[in-house]
Amino acid sequence: MAAARGALLKYLRVNVATVQRNPSPFSLSFNSIRRCFAEEVRGSFLDKSEVTDRVISVVKNFQKVDPSKVTVNAHFQNDLGLDSLDTVEVVMALEEEFGFEIPDNEADKINTINMAVDFIASHPQAK
Amino acid sequence: MGASRGPRLSGLQKQVLSLYRGFLRAARCKSAADRRQIESIVSAEFRRNSNQVDRKNFLYIEYLLRRGKKQLEQLQSPNTESLSQTKQS
Amino acid sequence: MQPRVACHAEALKIISKLQAFGDSITQADMLRSSFLRRGYNKVAGIFGRAEAKKQDFPVLEGHPAAQESAEVALESRVTVQDNVKKVMKEFRIYRWNPDRPDSKPFLQSYHVDLSECGPMVLDALQKIKAENDSSLSYRRSCREGICGSCAMNIGGTNTVACLKPIDGHTSKPTIIIPLPHMFVIKDLVVDLTNFYQQYKSIEPWLKTNMVPKDGREYRQSPADRKKLDGLYECILCACCTTSCPSYWWNPEEYLGPAALLHAYRWICDSRDELTEERLQALTEDERKLYRCRAIKNCTATCPKGLDPADAIHKMKTKHMLSQPMEMVEIM
Repeated sequence: MAAARGALLKYLRVNVATVQRNPSPFSLSFNSIRRCFAEEVRGSFLDKSEVTDRVISVVKNFQKVDPSKVTVNAHFQNDLGLDSLDTVEVVMALEEEFGFEIPDNEADKINTINMAVDFIASHPQAK
Repeated sequence: MGASRGPRLSGLQKQVLSLYRGFLRAARCKSAADRRQIESIVSAEFRRNSNQVDRKNFLYIEYLLRRGKKQLEQLQSPNTESLSQTKQS
Repeated sequence: MQPRVACHAEALKIISKLQAFGDSITQADMLRSSFLRRGYNKVAGIFGRAEAKKQDFPVLEGHPAAQESAEVALESRVTVQDNVKKVMKEFRIYRWNPDRPDSKPFLQSYHVDLSECGPMVLDALQKIKAENDSSLSYRRSCREGICGSCAMNIGGTNTVACLKPIDGHTSKPTIIIPLPHMFVIKDLVVDLTNFYQQYKSIEPWLKTNMVPKDGREYRQSPADRKKLDGLYECILCACCTTSCPSYWWNPEEYLGPAALLHAYRWICDSRDELTEERLQALTEDERKLYRCRAIKNCTATCPKGLDPADAIHKMKTKHMLSQPMEMVEIM
């Protein structure tokens, strides 16, 4: 996901350069807004390895989890023995750790440490 | 089953989890002691119903969802400080 | 005539005292016994007043007239009870209790002796709750059709139980269910949150821009006041709204006849100055008002005899007339 976003950003930058050569008032303003937004977004992504460490420590601190079983590839339900309500609590704890709100439809999909890391690392508001 | 895929959630299950999230978020706005109290009551209630209520009893689950939404609305009010529970005999 | 009235009032007082002894006497019974008492007095007058059985009413010591009334009332009550035949009527009432999650909703039969019961369906419900089954839940307050609490579906029609006479045909049961297509909280109690929210959304209060001329109240001519007749009487019982098929399918979007009737009550109020804005708010999308398909179940069911369909029709007309012709063609 992060890779896809990176590719998109690259594409956008190329676009802006093109526009500067053939200026048209509408597309210029449109693209410069997009570019500013993209730069800002890109600037605040967290480092993936840092995210992984913090996610793992949050999950290890969750009282129903056996810390020795927590690995990068661990599945909340299959490996850690959590049910859907526990998963909600873990994701909520991650929300607090990273200081942003995960929308319901995204939160429902997060079932592994990997997915949590990917989502958080690709989310611009994660702190 | 792929490692990243959990059990697929039904619409009703999603609503329940969403309500649970709503309660946990509402609890964050209260004082630390009240928050602990709210979280313990809410999680006990959800867990109790998840064990006791037949997953096919849609009528009752929908009723609980509506009741829960109302209680959440009350909890979300800044005037509401905490939550308490009375034992039913 | 005066002393007789006083005597009658005294008798009523005694009868209510008697209730304390576990003798449940309804208002209807009181009327009946006062009727019989008058008959008794006439007969007693002819035969030189037969000696009534002496009863001891300590609270009436020193009030011979009241003492006499009490004795007569007691005696005629016994006579009535001996002579009236029991008329058993079956009521089948919708039951659902959230505290018993495994049981599905069902119709529970209750048999009520109509000779011991008041005339309205609410009286029967009260009797069932008092004597048969205290777990039966329903809303009620004024018992005279002014609060709108006891709205329910009786024999297939939405109405308020306090204004609905009991069907005297004992051969078939009366079926009582909650207001249709509403979420049930317990038994006959339904969730009216959305209904009240919609009423709130039409902003049911007087809105003006200027201070009244005398600085105290907004005045209105009798002719303008007359326009509010047939509108202000609505008690928000929700009978009309919950009888409307349009509302059944779109309860979130369509405001429903009750809220729209109230909207019209403010739109046609001569003192309200935001008529245009109110109309605009209702017609900003095609759902709030125009989901009405003129089915007129609302008017047919209203227990107060009001005509929400007419109010809605007038608002549609008012809106259409305010539109340029091209706009009307589009709609």
